[in-house]
Amino acid sequence: MSIIQQHTSASLSDAWRTINIDALTEDSSVNFDTSTLHPPLPETSESEVRQLAQQVRQLLRGGDAEGALRGCLEMPVYNGSDLAKEAHLQTVIEVLQSIKASEMTPMLQRIYGTPGGSECLDVLMKYLYKGMATTSGSSSSSSGGGSAPRTPTRMTPQQTGFSQVGARPGAANESTGAAMSVLLSWHEKAVEIAGLGCITRTMTDWRRV
Amino acid sequence: MAAPEVHHLFHNPIADHSFSADRKTLAVARESNVELYGRVGKAFKLKDELKGHDKTVTSVDIAPNSGRIVTCSQDRNALVWEPSPQGYKPTLVLLRINRAATFVRWSPSEAKFAVGSGDRVIAVCYFEEENDWWVSKHLKKPIRSTITTVAWHPNSVLLAAGSTDAHARVFSSFIKGVDTKPEPGVWGERLPFNTVCGEYLNNSAGWVHAVGFSPSGDALAFAAHDSSITVVYPSGADEPPRAIVSINTQLMPFMSLIWNGEGEIIAAGYDCEAYRFKGGEGGWQLSGTLEAAKGRPALGGGDREESALNMFRQMDLKGKVSKDDTQLKTVHQNTVTMLRPYETNGERVTKFSSSGVDGRLVIWNA
Amino acid sequence: MSQSLRPYLQAVRTSLSAALCLSNFASQTAERHNVPEIEAQTSPEVLLAPLTIARNENERVLIEPSINSIRVSIKIKQADEIEHILVHKFTRFLTQRAESFFILRRKPIKGYDISFLITNFHTEEMLKHKLVDFIIQFMEEVDKEISEMKLFVSSVALARWFRWPPRLIIKQLNARARFVAESFLTPFD
Repeated sequence: MSIIQQHTSASLSDAWRTINIDALTEDSSVNFDTSTLHPPLPETSESEVRQLAQQVRQLLRGGDAEGALRGCLEMPVYNGSDLAKEAHLQTVIEVLQSIKASEMTPMLQRIYGTPGGSECLDVLMKYLYKGMATTSGSSSSSSGGGSAPRTPTRMTPQQTGFSQVGARPGAANESTGAAMSVLLSWHEKAVEIAGLGCITRTMTDWRRV
Repeated sequence: MAAPEVHHLFHNPIADHSFSADRKTLAVARESNVELYGRVGKAFKLKDELKGHDKTVTSVDIAPNSGRIVTCSQDRNALVWEPSPQGYKPTLVLLRINRAATFVRWSPSEAKFAVGSGDRVIAVCYFEEENDWWVSKHLKKPIRSTITTVAWHPNSVLLAAGSTDAHARVFSSFIKGVDTKPEPGVWGERLPFNTVCGEYLNNSAGWVHAVGFSPSGDALAFAAHDSSITVVYPSGADEPPRAIVSINTQLMPFMSLIWNGEGEIIAAGYDCEAYRFKGGEGGWQLSGTLEAAKGRPALGGGDREESALNMFRQMDLKGKVSKDDTQLKTVHQNTVTMLRPYETNGERVTKFSSSGVDGRLVIWNA
Repeated sequence: MSQSLRPYLQAVRTSLSAALCLSNFASQTAERHNVPEIEAQTSPEVLLAPLTIARNENERVLIEPSINSIRVSIKIKQADEIEHILVHKFTRFLTQRAESFFILRRKPIKGYDISFLITNFHTEEMLKHKLVDFIIQFMEEVDKEISEMKLFVSSVALARWFRWPPRLIIKQLNARARFVAESFLTPFD
């Protein structure tokens, strides 16, 4: 009847206006291959992470907190599934939480003084930032958009046996607050020892945890 | 040791600076112009301005023998300024790039210069007599991002370049009819144009801000945004390097570096002061700052005793003690972006100059 | 309370100092342009890993660094509905006057209450540690102001009870917000 009817819904839509043509140009800087920014990374499977967690826990039980910390910082999960990465983060956090505040600085100093120690502190820094990002972001904004179950990332306090029916919103907050303050004090100590260079390396490094 | 000579030229960033061979003329890149300063007694006086670019000038270099000045800018152009009795005459260089020109340096032979760009190429430029203009050949692969810096090997054929793709590379820029065939060396034997003689990436990556060959040309140092300095000792064509020594510092990243003999590197950057590194193939170490403790503005007199309570309250609330801190304790008051040798004695640098975002130019005793 | 505030602000301070290593960088996609890469997001290699510093679930800072600019976003503590409304009103008031703040972004990024955009041109003009101080000071003051405004709101509720005309109440609330905001308007002298 009229010209309008000749339009299909596809041609009426103005989606084509928002196509990012740079993304379709192979040579464009938008399509930079970021895998060229790090050396090839071996894949770590979930079972390996679990195995390491076992060993680390054993060391912790045996009172060798430094060995436990070293152990999990020397084996960061750079290339692995989201679950493997989360699991390793949990292991690191567990170790960090089990170390007394007065022990932090001397322990980091000892680690920093050994060969490869500077690298260890860089890895620690990565896990500290990741720890703060995943835990704090779990409740509100969707930071990653990953569909991995969120529960293991939450730092929940040890179950006390008392079920908090309809827990106050503040209660969860207090517990994450406590978990955060552990990470924050580690952050402070790590910067004292490894300097701001440790933070710049966390930012530039494409081997992400 | 004598105190450094500080010249506060203006309140804009100095993107790059260069001295003439007699050290009487100083060229600095300020916004979209290049300013020429003449030495008058102890100070530098503005004597000429080179106006020809219409965007930020990113780099400037004076050829020591010919006195020609080459400049490049984010307006995508490079200009060669020929000294003449009537002043400097600019000639446009045929760069054939579509993005910012980021860095330019004359080769030691002064027959060529290299222009780094945001177009992911390095334009190696040389003069074509028959057409009477400066033309260029492109070093292209395997560059994946903006070139931030270049540095020449003493043989004027090899060229080191740093890029925001986190790689430092060594290329051959051999141009028939311009260069004489180089002797085979640790970087390779046959060196046709665009031979990649080395490609290096730190584990923690980071944009490469500065590169430099050692005086002999047999080692390469580069500084990257991961607060590191890396020194590479190559062993010959198609063979892995003899040694790669990387120092991850506790400091903020370095923007520029110079060699002082084969066993010392001086670097400066976001910490606003210069640091000295010492070492060799077996290992390198940060040996300290070049800033004399005495040289810092004395705080003794002006440092008021604050009440302990107030101090703790400040510490508690802000995580720092509040003081009158509008001045940094370093000579430079902002990032140092360029270091250059000023006075040399053979391979040793006896004095070097630094310039920074704070508009200061400082001449130091190395 | 300030027991955990100090390490939090300290971590923000060191992270910001490390992230504020900016340089003049011309666009690789648009000819003759020089844009904040963190906003353009057209070259992945010039963006760095973002850093999150958190004090608890409701208070955190996100730093997104790039070669020539960084974005700093703050989630301000909101314990209840009133604080939520106050934070919203307060940040809206500030962002509407963004041009007088130099580094304030008009729109906060998702999940945060207020965002700052700092480019190399800011770090060239201003001392870096002063910029960092400004952000830290902002974070301290904003908490204080929100609680003070909350007190004020309760007094307004009381005034309601005494049947003050609403016009007067709103006028007073606005005056308070303006006073607070203006105390931030001249940070860079």
